[in-house]
Amino acid sequence: MIVTPVVSINNLTKVIKGKKIIDDLSFEIYAGEVFGFLGPNGAGKTTTIRMLVGLISITEGEVIIKGKNVAKNFEEAVSEIGAIVENPEMYKFLTGYQNLVHYARMVNGVTKQRIDEVVELVGLSERIHEKVRTYSLGMRQRLGLAQALLHSPSVLILDEPTNGLDPAGIREIRDYLRRLAAEEGLAVIVSSHLLSEMELMCDRIGIIQHGKLIGVQTVNDFVNGEKEVLIRFQVDDHELASVVLKEHYPNKKFNINGEVIEVALEKEEIPKLNESFVNKNVKVYGIGQTSKTLEDKFLEVTGGDKIV
Amino acid sequence: MFNFMKLIQNENMKIYRRPGTWVMYGILVLMLLIVGMFTKFLLDDPSGQVTGADNNAQIQVTIEDEVVMNENWREAVHSKNIQLQMLIDDPSIPSAVKDRYSQEIIINQYRLEHDIPPVETKSYWGYMTSTVNLISLVTMFTIIVAAGIVAGEFSWGTIKLLLIRPVSRAKILLSKYIATFIFALSMLLALFLFSFAFGGLFFGYSAIAQPHLVFASGEVIERNMFTHLFMLYSLSSVELLMMVTFAFMISTVFRSSSLAIGLALFLMFTGTQLVHVLSQYEWVKYILFANTYLVQYVEGTPIVEGMTMTFSIVVLAIYFIIFNALSWIIFQKRDVAA
Repeated sequence: MIVTPVVSINNLTKVIKGKKIIDDLSFEIYAGEVFGFLGPNGAGKTTTIRMLVGLISITEGEVIIKGKNVAKNFEEAVSEIGAIVENPEMYKFLTGYQNLVHYARMVNGVTKQRIDEVVELVGLSERIHEKVRTYSLGMRQRLGLAQALLHSPSVLILDEPTNGLDPAGIREIRDYLRRLAAEEGLAVIVSSHLLSEMELMCDRIGIIQHGKLIGVQTVNDFVNGEKEVLIRFQVDDHELASVVLKEHYPNKKFNINGEVIEVALEKEEIPKLNESFVNKNVKVYGIGQTSKTLEDKFLEVTGGDKIV
Repeated sequence: MFNFMKLIQNENMKIYRRPGTWVMYGILVLMLLIVGMFTKFLLDDPSGQVTGADNNAQIQVTIEDEVVMNENWREAVHSKNIQLQMLIDDPSIPSAVKDRYSQEIIINQYRLEHDIPPVETKSYWGYMTSTVNLISLVTMFTIIVAAGIVAGEFSWGTIKLLLIRPVSRAKILLSKYIATFIFALSMLLALFLFSFAFGGLFFGYSAIAQPHLVFASGEVIERNMFTHLFMLYSLSSVELLMMVTFAFMISTVFRSSSLAIGLALFLMFTGTQLVHVLSQYEWVKYILFANTYLVQYVEGTPIVEGMTMTFSIVVLAIYFIIFNALSWIIFQKRDVAA
């Protein structure tokens, strides 16, 4: 059986005032996965999400949600989507419940029962009849989630869902999203610039920078994907060591940091280099692997220049 | 269609769940009360039958007071006719005005013949017709609602969640437009009902059956006062319709409620003056504000000679279409960002 994607984004491009904000983006999202949309601020995450939900027009390319084109068949396509775009801004002068009733009236088939169910689900039962004005940011996020889930969509799109939440709230959202994807088979798209967060939440991550998709990888590949690993040798004489290194690998770059010499090597090269060090009377006190966090990788991929 | 009613329900919820809306109703009722008390207790009677010491007595016995007026109106009408005749004989007065004066004379003669007193300011119908002027207050309040109904969603940030529903933008905008006029209608209804109630409270309902006299196709016709009042309401609501549509357009195009309120109210208050200042120019008749006051064709003379009701309606229709087309096109095409 061929798995058809819930969301396919094909050659998506957005030009504003002659400037390419989003440049030829293509990727697919499948049911039951949490897809992370990672990029520094201003990379075009929110712009892409706005195009996905039809808030802004698409210059070129297309967004297909469950076989329906967002631009041409807006009403049908968007009924498969539940979303929070940027902050979950609600009508503050209404109660949480009235807000949900408001959105429930705009789709077919959301019963009173379903509203109660969703309220229960996001854990807002006790405060739902209070004015949104009195809610904390965390509660507004929950209410935002509730309005996105109200009509049982196939795709859940959340823009920076953990923004402004405390660690407990972040954890809760994360567990909740994972459960929704695993149990209900939702396709979840989450955007963030918080890398450590994405690592824990997502199955796959797409990195976007300057409106271009740099790559899509599963989280595991992302962290351990490289063949070469950065190895640290602790030596007594780093000058001698660097001479040895240059002999072996004339083209390799390495860092010297006090007694520590850092070089990127494949697995099999580690004992060989060690042997050469020992033969040339370089005392090796220790060999270690510096594991790269997703953050290092991310900084590397994006050049690290645009992080705020 | 069922779906669309729900959209209007939503908009109504957003209008009436805000305290500001109820403050507007409160102000309207308060104004009616003030106008009523002012008319009843402070206004000098123009016909002058009630003076000084009688004033206190008049407060208590409204009915008797009306009887007094009933006995003296004939004289007043008679002298008014003599005045009007003098004006007609004055060659410096334009013929259109003279026509109106001679019509008034005929109506007044009809009054004397059929024993129908004119409507006094200090009377039930006097109050009812003077409160028609409060429609400009209703217009002001509706402009405030119209200015906020689209721009508010943008400033609250809720537009993003509103537009990602399986409902077309056209339907959302239409539901907002209609909800605005439902608000206007309910305010007009409140205006009518409360002035009806306060009118009765202050002046009694004894004169309620009094007819309104109009001169039409060469003869005097007796009309039901309520029909006349309804006509005044409808004609005065034309300005409401146009200015609210204008405010709605500004609100949609510029996403700023303060700009919409400011511009619409400024034009509403200065527009008519501007037209008067420029009234010697022919092109003035194409300005919106030269046409919004349709009552001018029924109870007065048009600002620019040669203007007719049909002309004004055509001009208004053109403005109406332009305003709405702008709102709709821009709202449909707009990129909702930041």
